[in-house]
Amino acid sequence: MTMLNRPLGLSRAGIGYLLILPSLCLIGVFFLVPLCMTVWMSLHDWPLFGTSTLVGLKNYAELLHDESFWRSLLFTTKYTLIVTPALFLASFVLALLVRRPGRWSAFFRTAYFLPVVIGLSTASLLWVWLFNDQVGLFSALLMQLHVVDEPVQWFDTGTTSLLSVVWMVTWKMTGFNMVLMLVGMQAIPKDLYEAANIDGVSPWQQLRYITVPLMRQTFALALTISVIGSYLAFDQFYIMTHGGPNNGTVSIVYWIYRAAFTYTRVGYASAMSVVLLLILLLMSTLQLYLLRSDDR
Amino acid sequence: MNKRFFTGALSFASLACALAGFSNRALAQDTGTLSFWVRASDAAIATPLVKAWNGSHKAQVALTVIPNDDFMTKFGTASASGAVPDILAVDLIFVPQLAQAGQLSDITEQAKALPFYNSLSKAHMHLATTDAHHYAVPFSAESSFLVYNKGLFKKAGIDTNAPPKDWASIEAYAKRITALGDGNKGFYFSGACGGCNIFTFAPYIWASGGDVLSADGRSASIDSPQVRDALGFYRRMWTAKLVPQGAKNDAGQNFINAFFTGKVGMVGTGAFAIGLLKKDHPEIDFGVTPLPGAKGGQASFAGGDSIAIPKGSKAKAAAWEFIAWCLSDSVQIESFAKNGSIPVRSDLGAAYVNGDPRLQVAFDAMANGRAPYSVKFNQLINDGNGPWNSMIQEAVFGDGVDAAVKKAQAKFSETITAAK
Repeated sequence: MTMLNRPLGLSRAGIGYLLILPSLCLIGVFFLVPLCMTVWMSLHDWPLFGTSTLVGLKNYAELLHDESFWRSLLFTTKYTLIVTPALFLASFVLALLVRRPGRWSAFFRTAYFLPVVIGLSTASLLWVWLFNDQVGLFSALLMQLHVVDEPVQWFDTGTTSLLSVVWMVTWKMTGFNMVLMLVGMQAIPKDLYEAANIDGVSPWQQLRYITVPLMRQTFALALTISVIGSYLAFDQFYIMTHGGPNNGTVSIVYWIYRAAFTYTRVGYASAMSVVLLLILLLMSTLQLYLLRSDDR
Repeated sequence: MNKRFFTGALSFASLACALAGFSNRALAQDTGTLSFWVRASDAAIATPLVKAWNGSHKAQVALTVIPNDDFMTKFGTASASGAVPDILAVDLIFVPQLAQAGQLSDITEQAKALPFYNSLSKAHMHLATTDAHHYAVPFSAESSFLVYNKGLFKKAGIDTNAPPKDWASIEAYAKRITALGDGNKGFYFSGACGGCNIFTFAPYIWASGGDVLSADGRSASIDSPQVRDALGFYRRMWTAKLVPQGAKNDAGQNFINAFFTGKVGMVGTGAFAIGLLKKDHPEIDFGVTPLPGAKGGQASFAGGDSIAIPKGSKAKAAAWEFIAWCLSDSVQIESFAKNGSIPVRSDLGAAYVNGDPRLQVAFDAMANGRAPYSVKFNQLINDGNGPWNSMIQEAVFGDGVDAAVKKAQAKFSETITAAK
C-alpha cells in the first residue's frame, strides 16, 4: 500500500480508528461519560440543589428495601408483558396484510406507519384529550351510539388506566414494528415460497414452516426493542395517568424521575438507574441468546 | 497504542464540549441579552411584557417559557450544570426551597429601597423571606374563590344575589342544581390534582380555623377536626352524586373546563378564569364569591409567581433593573391590571377592579390570602402520588375520612422530618 492510499501515513488499523472516531466521540460524550457520572452520583447523597456527600453503597442498600422501587419494577414488568405481545401480534398481522406489492399496499403501509412519526409525549397528550370524559371523542362516540349512558372513566382504576396506555402505545408503535417485520419477510428468498406452492403447501403451512422460522432474528430484534422500550416507559404514564390512581401506574422510570425531581434525591435516583441498566442488559442478553439463529 | 488512542479521543470530546459551552456563554455576554425563565401559566403576561421592555431598553431580555410541571426539573438541571438564567419567575411556593438551598441572590436591600415596598403582596413576601432576608419579590398574583353559574342558579330557583356563605348552602344549592337533570351537576373539583386542591380546597379548611401545615412549615396539622370536616363535606357531595364522575381522576385538565360546559353550578377557581369566561364564554352568566368556612368566614390561597435573580446570574444589576421595571406603576397598571391580571401591589387595586365587583372579590381575596410555607411543597402537595393527593383520593372517593387523615398526618410528618 502506498502513501497515496494511506491518508496521513496511517497504518490500516490507524485508518480504521480514524473512521470510527466520530462514533467513538458520540458514544463517549453521550453514553460513556454520562454513564460514569451516573455511577459516581449513585455513590453520593446528591441533592438536586446543594452540595453532595460520598455515601458509598448506601443508596444501593436502601434500594433493596424500597417497596416503591420493587412495586414500580413489578408494574413495569406487567406493562411489558401486556404491551409486547400486543405490539408483536398487531405488527405481524399488519405486515402480512401489506407485504405483497399491490394497489393499496403503499397507502396502508404509510397509514399504519403514520403514528410513529408523532412524538410519544404528543401522542400521549392527544389521547388524554380523546379519553377526556367532558370533551373527549371516545366517550361522546359511545354515548352517541347508546353503548353507555354517561361518560366512561377510562382512568378510574389501575387496570383501566394501564389498558388505556397500552391501547395508545399499540396505536403509536405498531407501525414501527410492522416495518421491522416487513424487512424480515422480504429477506426470505422467494424461491422457498415458489417451491412450496409447486408442492401444494397451504398458505397457513407456508406461514408456519417458512415465514415464522426464517424470521427468528427479526423477532429477536423486535422483541428486544419492544422490551427495552417498555421497561423505559415514562412519557405515557407521566402524561396520561400521572402514576395514578393511588400510585397504581408508576413505571420504574417514573419512580426514578420522582426520586430525582420531586424528592430531589439525584444520588438515589442514579442508583436506581444503574440497577435498571443492569436488569435491561441481563434481559437483552438472555433474550438474544434464546432467540439466536442456528445458522452461525 | 490503544490506551493512548482512547485517552486522546476522550480528551478531544471533552475539549469540544468545553469549547461549545464557552462559546455559548461568550455569545450571551457579548450581546448583552438577559435570559428570563417563566412557567407556561405566566406566558400570556410575560410575552408582551418582555416585548415592551425590549422596545424601550438597550439590554434585551430573552424569554424562555417552560411547562408548569417541568419548571423545577429544568431549573434543577440547569443549576447542576451552572447554566442558570439571569432572571427567574417561579411559583411563589417554591421560593423557600430555592432560597434555603442557596440558589437565589439576596435582594433585601434593593427590595427595601423600592418606594412601594410596603404595598408588595404579603403572601409573596412571606414566602420570599428566609431569616429576615428577601430572595424574591412578587411577579404575578392569583387568588382563589368560588365561581357560580347564575343561569343554573336561576333555573334551580336560587337567588343569584345570595351566593353560598357556608358549606351547608353550597351543598343545598348543589342538590337543587343537580336535581335539574340533563347532565347538570352542582359542584366540581379536580380530585386528582394536588396543586388545584391546595388552591381551592385548603381555603375551606383555613376559613374554618384549621390549617395543613404550621406557619414555619416544620410540622403538619392534618389530623384536625377542620380537615376532617372539609373532607367530609367533599365526600358527602361526591357520594350524593352532586359532582361529575370525572372529578375523581381529573389531574387538572378539567379544572375550569368543566365550568365552561355550562352544566356545572359551582367550582373553586382563580382570577384567570374571570378573564377566560368574559372573553371565551360570554354565554355563561357567572358570579364570584369567596370560598367560605363550615359556618361562614372566608379564605383564599394567595398564589402566583415570584421573580428572583439566581445566584449564578451573570448580570445581576441589569436583572434587578428589569425586575424593578416590572413592579413600577405604569407596568403594573398597563401590562397587568388592564389585561386582567391582579397587580402584585395592594395600592393599585382600582386600576384592576375597574368597577367590576367580581374582580373586587378576586383582588380582596389576594390581599387577604395565604400560602403555606414549606421547603418540601412539591413532595407534600404537588406530587400526584404524594400524601396530600392520596389523602383526598382516599377520604373523598375511597374508604373514608378517618383512616385517610391518620395516614396523611403520618406521611406528612415523615416527609417533613426526613433529612433530604
